[in-house]
Amino acid sequence: MSLEKPEPSATADEVGVTDDGLDYDALEALVAEHVVDRESHVNAEAFVVYPDAVQATLSTLKEEAGFDHCSCVTAQEYEDRFESIYHLKKFDDPTQQLSIVVPTTKDDPVSESAEPVFRTADWHEREAYDLVGIDYTDHPDLRRILLPETWQGHPLGKDYNQNQPQIVPLREHANPLEQDHRAGEDSDTMFVNIGPHHPATHGVLHVKTVLDGEQIADLEPDIGYLHRCEEQMCQGSTYRHQIMPYPDRWDYTPGGILNEWAYARAAESMADIDVPEYAQVLRTMSAELTRICAHLLALGTFGLDVYGDFTAIFMYAVRDREIVQNILEDLTGQRLMFNYFRLGGVSWDVPEPREEFFENIRDFLDGLPHRLEEYHDLVTGNEIFQMRCVDTGVLPPEVAKNYGATGPVARGSGIDYDLRRDDPYGYYDELDWDVVTEDGCDNYSRVLVRMREVEESAKIIDQCVDLLEDWPEEEREIQSNVPRTLRPDADKEVYEAVECAKGELGIYMRSDGTDKPARFKIRSPCFSNLQTLPEMSEGEYIPDMVASLGSLDIVLGEVDR
Amino acid sequence: MIEPLTATPLPDTIADMLNLGDGILVQLLTGLLASALVGTFMLLNTALAGPWAKRKITAAFTDRISVNRIGPAGIGTIVVDAVRLLSKELIIPEDADRPAYDIAPLVLASSALLGFAVIPMGNGIQVADPEIGLAYVFAVASIASLGLVMAGYASSNKYSFLGGLRAVAQNLAYEIPLVLTGASVVLFAGSLRMSEIVAAQQGTLFSLGPIAVPAWFAFVNPFAFALFFIANLAEVGRNPFDIPEAPTEIVAGYQTEYSSVYFVLFYLGEFIHIFLGGAIIATLFLGGPAGPVLPGIVWFTIKIWAVFFFTQWARSAVPRVRIDQLIEIGWKGMLVLSFANLVLTAVIVGVIA
Repeated sequence: MSLEKPEPSATADEVGVTDDGLDYDALEALVAEHVVDRESHVNAEAFVVYPDAVQATLSTLKEEAGFDHCSCVTAQEYEDRFESIYHLKKFDDPTQQLSIVVPTTKDDPVSESAEPVFRTADWHEREAYDLVGIDYTDHPDLRRILLPETWQGHPLGKDYNQNQPQIVPLREHANPLEQDHRAGEDSDTMFVNIGPHHPATHGVLHVKTVLDGEQIADLEPDIGYLHRCEEQMCQGSTYRHQIMPYPDRWDYTPGGILNEWAYARAAESMADIDVPEYAQVLRTMSAELTRICAHLLALGTFGLDVYGDFTAIFMYAVRDREIVQNILEDLTGQRLMFNYFRLGGVSWDVPEPREEFFENIRDFLDGLPHRLEEYHDLVTGNEIFQMRCVDTGVLPPEVAKNYGATGPVARGSGIDYDLRRDDPYGYYDELDWDVVTEDGCDNYSRVLVRMREVEESAKIIDQCVDLLEDWPEEEREIQSNVPRTLRPDADKEVYEAVECAKGELGIYMRSDGTDKPARFKIRSPCFSNLQTLPEMSEGEYIPDMVASLGSLDIVLGEVDR
Repeated sequence: MIEPLTATPLPDTIADMLNLGDGILVQLLTGLLASALVGTFMLLNTALAGPWAKRKITAAFTDRISVNRIGPAGIGTIVVDAVRLLSKELIIPEDADRPAYDIAPLVLASSALLGFAVIPMGNGIQVADPEIGLAYVFAVASIASLGLVMAGYASSNKYSFLGGLRAVAQNLAYEIPLVLTGASVVLFAGSLRMSEIVAAQQGTLFSLGPIAVPAWFAFVNPFAFALFFIANLAEVGRNPFDIPEAPTEIVAGYQTEYSSVYFVLFYLGEFIHIFLGGAIIATLFLGGPAGPVLPGIVWFTIKIWAVFFFTQWARSAVPRVRIDQLIEIGWKGMLVLSFANLVLTAVIVGVIA
């Protein structure tokens, strides 16, 4: 680890910070008037607060205790109550976590919105309303977000009958593209639907845009076209084997192994499973290979957005990504949906002959600096490219934090936040690498961050290969002992996150004592990052909006889940 | 003064060859024959460029193989593509403003073909050689803008509309530098007549040992050549100035709603325009059909293909600028530079002559 921990002085004046972790009693004292009860989650303590004191509690914790990152909002229904959980963290030190649990009654599930404190709660609470059915007062725009407006019922609620077909036929659904004119006849603005089928939306994203000439007056992303009930499918599957294939389908660029790690980390933390060191090295190496794949694709598609269709950048990026995919195919047997991780390890060791496999990786790593040089010549060094990308799509750090932006998007805004270093897992803290940040806050910085992260990933892979090559044969343990059926204790709750290619991918799970999770919630980095698009684009030109969307590097499979 | 390469226009040559004598009917017939010949030649070039050469060139730039199934090097794909495109359903939007919607593709394609009437292609191939040849080429070439506006407006689609508006803004901003730079060549040549512009480039600029560098205006005034080249890229709407189409921003701009035959016409028109741009560049700056050993028509073809090749190169490697940046480059950069070029040329020509 070359980068030291954040300075202790930065957090010293925050309530509850001690040398050996958080002092939850001091934190509780800070918001004592609102707290009803305390719970213990696996990752952090949780305070149960009154539903009308959400804003007061959160803003006190944000301002006085330094919890400036609302990572996720989980909503769920129990037999006797609804519950919203706000998972708080600190951008300076994400190991300092705290959950705020807000129970509401069954017959009147109304709770105060956290949106005035954390902008990111806007979409998260809309999703909670949509899928679980909790009402948030004071929310600026509480509509369904994933399902169509005419949907009946809340699918993750207890009284929802999944077998009953929706009776509203397609033709009676509000046509999302119907709205044609937003302003009056004499207005200067024009309403345009960008998407859901548009070359620049990287999937089925619908952006409602109001144009003033060529400039964007107002913009609202409309998501949900690719909603596949991933959370519910995970809730219907067993911890041990059945859930693991799903994460591959969230971010399919491919970020598969990184996503698998999010689930693996949460489940291993919940069931207290150890992972052998050798498997950790394998995990780290394969995860970083996947990250290179994902970042190369991000670069290529960004090239499409800024350059035009048939340009060299996309094909070059895909060419290099192909090499990594071949390596990953050798390792996992799959090119896209890897399904490589198992709880407590990985599915298999590197393929025989080992030397040949390592040789392939080394060949790729040796060629990489030259390739990156080429990209810098072709892309970042190009003057027209700089004209297009420098100082467009500006996302100031405070805004990024408020929206819960993570990953390259946050690091492109100068936020030094990377879970691989700040909340270490796997083998990362044993290796020598740096967290990349850029201070430009613009489209250009976000692209640069990705390109430089590829270099850092290459460094990590190189060290992993060294380790794997020298690992004594008798100690190559890829899997620890894990019971055939996992049944974590009832009411065990955990929220764990990893740094995937797009940012912080978090998993919340609650056990009810069976072999399947009672609630499985995915905190998708793209979901939070996409929320920043209006901030970046309003007042800019259409091409800049398209570039910003490209620089966010969203995958709709992960946004909609 | 050196004898012009094309002393007599093609219709007269045909009349002489067939011993038809003189008369209105004969003029009509031979004119038609000559136009058909030139038009067919250019359409052949376009057929080669559009469905095949473009793909092959772009593929070479981007590390791909591209079409290779039918015929040698996949050249048979031209036939297949033509059949495929023509057999598609012609979808006309409900609210389309007809007949503007139907005329637009024709306007685009024909305006470019009309321009070739005065281009001297070597070996006596030139349909007409009027005194105002250059003015005529610029005039008919810019009719294309009208086609684009018609398409953009008549399609009843907001993306088309944006594309149409962008096309007009862009053509306005770049037509003026284009014509002004062309005018500086006219100052050198002393004539608007295409054959005389070509003739004026026949001399030798200077000799490098055994190699005689011809007095092509590209060598006489490289600055004007560069200006003209860039303005021409904008005129034909290719990267970095492919803003009217800009697929990732406004889907396909003015041609979003066009399918089947109309799409083919648009596509065709664009490519003929690229070739017309190349032909103007070749005539004004590269000595027209002049060149050693090979016959003039071959050299002319090589030159227009070189320009086409360049546009494909730019398309593969250069990002597109933003619309406001494009207008800024046009009005604040190119226009000023082309005026400076014109004034300087006038002064130099005035001093020398």
